[in-house]
Amino acid sequence: MPTAKNDIKKQLADHVLANKESYYRLAYSYVRNADDALDIVQESISKALSSIASLKESHYIKTWFYRIVINTSLDLLRKQKKLVLVEEETLCSLNLGDVDAYQDIDLQEALEALPPNYRNIVILKYFEDLKIEEIAEILNVNVNTVKTRLYKSLKVLRIKIEEV
Amino acid sequence: MKSKSLEQLKKEYADIPIPPELDFIVKKAFKKERVNLIKKSSKFKGVSILAASVAAAIIILTVGVNTSPVFAETLSKVPVVSSIVRVLTFKVYSVDEENFQANIKVPEIQGLENKELQNSLNEKYLEENKKLYEEFVKDIEDVKALGGGHMGVDTGYQIKTDNDLILSIGRYFVNTAASSSTTFQYDTIDKQKQILITLPSLFKDESYIEIISQIIKNQMLQQINSEKDKIYWVAGGNSEGIPASEFFEAIEQNQSFYITASGKLIIAFNKYDVAPGYMGTPEFEIPTEAIADILVGNEYIK
Repeated sequence: MPTAKNDIKKQLADHVLANKESYYRLAYSYVRNADDALDIVQESISKALSSIASLKESHYIKTWFYRIVINTSLDLLRKQKKLVLVEEETLCSLNLGDVDAYQDIDLQEALEALPPNYRNIVILKYFEDLKIEEIAEILNVNVNTVKTRLYKSLKVLRIKIEEV
Repeated sequence: MKSKSLEQLKKEYADIPIPPELDFIVKKAFKKERVNLIKKSSKFKGVSILAASVAAAIIILTVGVNTSPVFAETLSKVPVVSSIVRVLTFKVYSVDEENFQANIKVPEIQGLENKELQNSLNEKYLEENKKLYEEFVKDIEDVKALGGGHMGVDTGYQIKTDNDLILSIGRYFVNTAASSSTTFQYDTIDKQKQILITLPSLFKDESYIEIISQIIKNQMLQQINSEKDKIYWVAGGNSEGIPASEFFEAIEQNQSFYITASGKLIIAFNKYDVAPGYMGTPEFEIPTEAIADILVGNEYIK
């Protein structure tokens, strides 16, 4: 008889296997190279398994694992000191004031110029097609914060979206 | 116009190339932590259902013989099972705690006139299973000392062939520590001569290793090419991302094997030996004509 915990590990394994490409792309979007992205996926799995106890219900596997991948990616960036720590709100408001800054720049670069917690949201919402509520869960912030950041990000990226 | 750019960007994102080794790395990461990748993986549903039903059949058979006189009676009417040489479950070790389960069934061969062979096999079975049980109990203590975990061990046996001439018995060991690894060990007995048949004893010389290995490699490649879901770790195969050192090279001198009722030689591998875990425990039937020249005789292999 499998215990609940064992069962959840299996569900995790199934989920990650089925969605490995999404997780890999997300990791890749941070580190921009295949080796590091693979490392992140591997590291995330081992982190997830060792902290499986913190996952109460299998219902949260998806958002929980996304969070682990994001945190692992950020950790790696921090270790590699590729990440310049800037107060996010400051940076974003600066960007907002500088409306023409990205006019001629590739959207990809503009996206990368966003602070990680803003870029996350754009990626999760528009590339991974997650719901606002799920993103809030992943990033451990409330729904309104997600909406606000998404709105700001889009404004910086100069993308008009009808509804958020 | 602008949201088109977002679409463009989304496309670029979706086009981030996936390295071929991703699948291997993900599976390896779970395997390292011993998480089972077979069950409930929808992609390989067919495989897992098959595995599950085989396992269920084995459990019913072994438990049935032991627990239900009626069932045993029914079974003994099936000609194959009613041969004089029989295999019964001799002893069951079990542990059933919340996180720890052991189900160890020790087979016993009965009815061989060569008592020495019978005893040596039965002693081997008992000895190995007892050792397994003791190791398991010790592991439980270690895991408990570390504060938790889940472990299980399930062993039993499967009679592959039981006809007038031979008895092939396969013993399986499923070791679960969040995931599972499975090994099969086979013994084949000549019931008339009352001897244990070994792989080398079937052949004139050691050339069988090379010849059978080549046949297996060819079969692997053939299966990979004809069936989409098959993966073997073999040179020229579809296992990108696997280091060449992990590829299947050759069978062992005493590679696990059994002989089917129709006299075909089956070479067996353990889970993860030559393929990813979801492939289970691969088996290859060696065409008799391909090895006819090197067989000692055609008594067993036809």
